[in-house]
Amino acid sequence: MSEGLFSQKVKNFFKLLCQTEWNATASGLIIAILSILIMAWWRPWGAVGAIRNWGEWILYGIGIFGQKPSSVLISSGSVIGIGFVAGAFISACLGNDFSFKFPPPWELVKAIIAGILMGVGSAFAGGCNVGGMYNAIGNLAANGFTMWLGLIIGVVLGLKYIYWEMEHVTWGTSGGKNFDFPYGLKIVIGLVGIAALIWGAYKYAGMSDDYAASLSGILLISAGLGYTMQRGRWCMVQAFREPHMTGDCTLAKSVALSILVLAVGAAVLKYAVPQRGSSVAVKSVLMDVVEDIDTDEIQDEELADTLDDLTDAAEQAVVSARRVLDPVNYVRGTFGWGAILGGFLFGLGAMFAGGCGSGTLWRVGEGQMKLWLVVPFFGISNAIMTKWFRAIHMEGTGPMHEGSKLGIHLYLPDALGYGWTLAIVALAMALWYIIVDWNEDSNKLIVEM
Amino acid sequence: MSDIKVAPEGLEVARTLDAKGLSCPMPLLRTKKEIEKINSGEILEILGTDPGSRNDIPGWCARAGHEYLGEREDDGFIRFYVKKK
Repeated sequence: MSEGLFSQKVKNFFKLLCQTEWNATASGLIIAILSILIMAWWRPWGAVGAIRNWGEWILYGIGIFGQKPSSVLISSGSVIGIGFVAGAFISACLGNDFSFKFPPPWELVKAIIAGILMGVGSAFAGGCNVGGMYNAIGNLAANGFTMWLGLIIGVVLGLKYIYWEMEHVTWGTSGGKNFDFPYGLKIVIGLVGIAALIWGAYKYAGMSDDYAASLSGILLISAGLGYTMQRGRWCMVQAFREPHMTGDCTLAKSVALSILVLAVGAAVLKYAVPQRGSSVAVKSVLMDVVEDIDTDEIQDEELADTLDDLTDAAEQAVVSARRVLDPVNYVRGTFGWGAILGGFLFGLGAMFAGGCGSGTLWRVGEGQMKLWLVVPFFGISNAIMTKWFRAIHMEGTGPMHEGSKLGIHLYLPDALGYGWTLAIVALAMALWYIIVDWNEDSNKLIVEM
Repeated sequence: MSDIKVAPEGLEVARTLDAKGLSCPMPLLRTKKEIEKINSGEILEILGTDPGSRNDIPGWCARAGHEYLGEREDDGFIRFYVKKK
């Protein structure tokens, strides 16, 4: 009897972990924690980095780009994308959500338009809904707020378009197909997927190059993000859309909470860690001292060697600390019209696609062929726009984006201090929360069909 | 984390909407439009493949006041049943 009870509990646990849809609040919190962890590992995650890298490969493959892009297994952006899609795929297999879902033909046309809009939009905004909004606000960058505003405008207009489309477009709107597999096979594939991820992480960790070795954690944490988002069906475009479509504010509230938790985590990392080991600290304490030493004038050879090593180590420390947590690396020069226009185009595209940057990738892992088509067009258009923007210095030059034509590079704590920055993020998220909650009952912001 | 509600067998359906292959938000929007075409008390059947509909359709029913009768698994798709208020 007790054995039957125990196996029942094991079954329930599997069901909870792999089959039921996770509640939105819990998903949002797990996503915030994983986002903080990957930041602590060394970089925030994003979706567009992967999609652009894959787009560059397509352009290189067909001969449009002459320069070979960085390897999909070495570009950290691409590794995030691979981990993320793999996590979502594993979740979809274990939860029996995976199947090849072929949409009606009109949806494929929309996928192409969506991909182009999202690629162009994320070039203007300096990231998609993740890097340009979620992680931007989370990284205390002002440009996150302007993209947030643009996203709302784009999503509302996109919703109006979809209403119009439902009245006027009749071609190719039905006849979708679905190719499913036996559930048992999906469970086996899901388990093989987990094994492959672990194998991949160990493979990275064993590499002699420090950078390549660090990709182990990037791969695993991204997989956790993809798994959680698929299981919770946590979709940011839905958070922006639903209050205006049905009034439902569950996801909007969850995204608001998730951003706040992420911002607190980022503030802890960015405020505390630079005190101990950022490039600024290393530079002021160590570099300025060792730079003054002329080792040629020192007679003692052993001491000269030691000092040479010290100089190298200090230089290395500055470089790696810069790469890791220095706030300037994750602030974009798009606080202004760039992120508003970018958010608008991206929001519109996400409505055509039925998924934002992250939502597109986890739906790819679920077998939604429409989103499979969004990704290459998103990647190609973003790769072309980014190359062009770089050539004309659209976003200015250097890490501080001096002379950006898209807006200002503003790390909020530089202007307001950490306290006021966190207060503003908290206030903005609280306001968003209250407004969507109020709208759920009053329906004042619903766009009628 | 709700359990799946299974619809009773042999429901008399007034209208069927084919939303197979469609992804979020199209299945729900089509449902919203399609339900305008049936009378109060009649049943709309929606054929779908988007796992998100499992949450979206019951959630919308609760909000709009329609009765969600449940779903039935078919060969490679799901049939959802909604009784108009």
